[in-house]
Amino acid sequence: MSSSRLTISNDLRRNSKVLPCSREWFFPSTSDRWLSILRIGLAVQLLLYAFSIHGDWIYLLSGTGRGLVSRDFAEALLSLESPLIPRLGWLVNAGKQLGVSEPTLLDLSWYGLIVASLFVLVGLFCRPAAIAAWLIHLSAVKSGGLVTYGVDALTTTGLFYLALSPLPDRFSLDRFWRKKIAGSQLLGFWRRVLQLHLCLIYFFSRLTKALGRDWWNGMNLWRSVTRPPFDLIPVETLVRFKYFFPIAGVAVLLLEIGYPFLIWPGRIGRRWLLAILVMHAGIGLAMGMYLFASVMIILNLAAFGPGKLWRDNGTREDAGRAISPGVA
Amino acid sequence: MRRKNICLAWLALQLFFITAISVRQLGWLIANGLTVIPLSRSSTASPAEKEGSTTPKQSRPNPAKQILVGYLHCAGIEGAYGFFAPNVPESYKLAFEFHNRDGSVDDDLPSVDSRAAELRLGSLLDAIGRSDSERYRRILIRMLTAAAWENHPEAVSVHAVFGKLKLPGPIETERGVTPSYEFIAAYDFERPAPK
Repeated sequence: MSSSRLTISNDLRRNSKVLPCSREWFFPSTSDRWLSILRIGLAVQLLLYAFSIHGDWIYLLSGTGRGLVSRDFAEALLSLESPLIPRLGWLVNAGKQLGVSEPTLLDLSWYGLIVASLFVLVGLFCRPAAIAAWLIHLSAVKSGGLVTYGVDALTTTGLFYLALSPLPDRFSLDRFWRKKIAGSQLLGFWRRVLQLHLCLIYFFSRLTKALGRDWWNGMNLWRSVTRPPFDLIPVETLVRFKYFFPIAGVAVLLLEIGYPFLIWPGRIGRRWLLAILVMHAGIGLAMGMYLFASVMIILNLAAFGPGKLWRDNGTREDAGRAISPGVA
Repeated sequence: MRRKNICLAWLALQLFFITAISVRQLGWLIANGLTVIPLSRSSTASPAEKEGSTTPKQSRPNPAKQILVGYLHCAGIEGAYGFFAPNVPESYKLAFEFHNRDGSVDDDLPSVDSRAAELRLGSLLDAIGRSDSERYRRILIRMLTAAAWENHPEAVSVHAVFGKLKLPGPIETERGVTPSYEFIAAYDFERPAPK
């Protein structure tokens, strides 16, 4: 009896030593540099998104009979999943009560996105602006659910974490009148969230691809760059590099599946990050998926850039200046 | 300390959701024989699939589930990260033949202004092509047809053809093989009479 008690107490003691240690890993002291990258990067991403689609904004998001596909239909499908998902239909219905037309309200939502993005960019009223940008973008993406692709979910995720992160950061205008900054551990926690999320994205994305035969022989890579609307490079040019596709296919496969394990250690991590950034830039240029490439580059730079590509030298200074106790 | 525990609990839940959704998609792909893992569709198909059902059964709304789904959408984690996985899908194309009152025919394609919107249109055509539901496909093609009809006010009827683009591999391309289209479905729509 007494020996079992002793064992339990030893276990508890051991656990009590392990737990704070493991907890430390989730709350590393870090500067707010990564948050500046995320804020500025996502603001630029939203502006690019909004301007790239401006000419088609109303056409893609109009209700039945007025656009490419019906927003009402997309929102009805959305309601089957959950009536709580934000959508532009809420704004349109509220505006109709006030006698404002649908195209005017859709225009307003576009301008609202631009204004919110600009506020996020300069760091003015950071958190309300980040929440507004996230909400407008999310509503547009969900209402245009029939015409969305991967970039939209990744941007939503980035904005979701930005809105929850301890804003403002040191490069924001808010810092002129708001002297309190978050504790470096809280900053570290939100950076860790982003890092772990990226690891899961790459791991599962590549694991799923690894189960497809044609990713190993280069055929899928070939199809990716020759199928419309990604066929920017003439097929006559691509065919000259036919032996490159199997090698590149396997290299990309290994690069992404190794990401969750090899992005962490110092020098290897730095090289891995650089290779991932080059890969995304290459995808963006070769396939014309500029927004997809830019959001992945922004998320990677924010998550792993400080400390790997340049020194994260604000940690000590911030820890000393931190007024708010953070999460400790 | 308490706030730290709350943060950690939330993070654990968040990572669990991401993992669960990704594993679920992986399982679905394997079960449907879409991967290199040999598993026949018939041995794993759910009863609903065996009956040929393409629409989910209407169930009573579950508030907890709706909140959870709402959260997943808000966090951008409602879908798995299987872009172009396990294989790059076929490319789909929709073409219209607008028949005018005078008997002439105008050919057209769904069109948007920008490159960004073009990628989104491509994504929509892929979704139409991937769908097993004939009803869903017809509804979306009808919408795309109605949008294109705006550019052909004189047309009285339209013949919409939906097809799949078969792309040759590098060796076939070298031999001079060009992409070809495989017919999937065709639809005829009449301009509704004015009220």
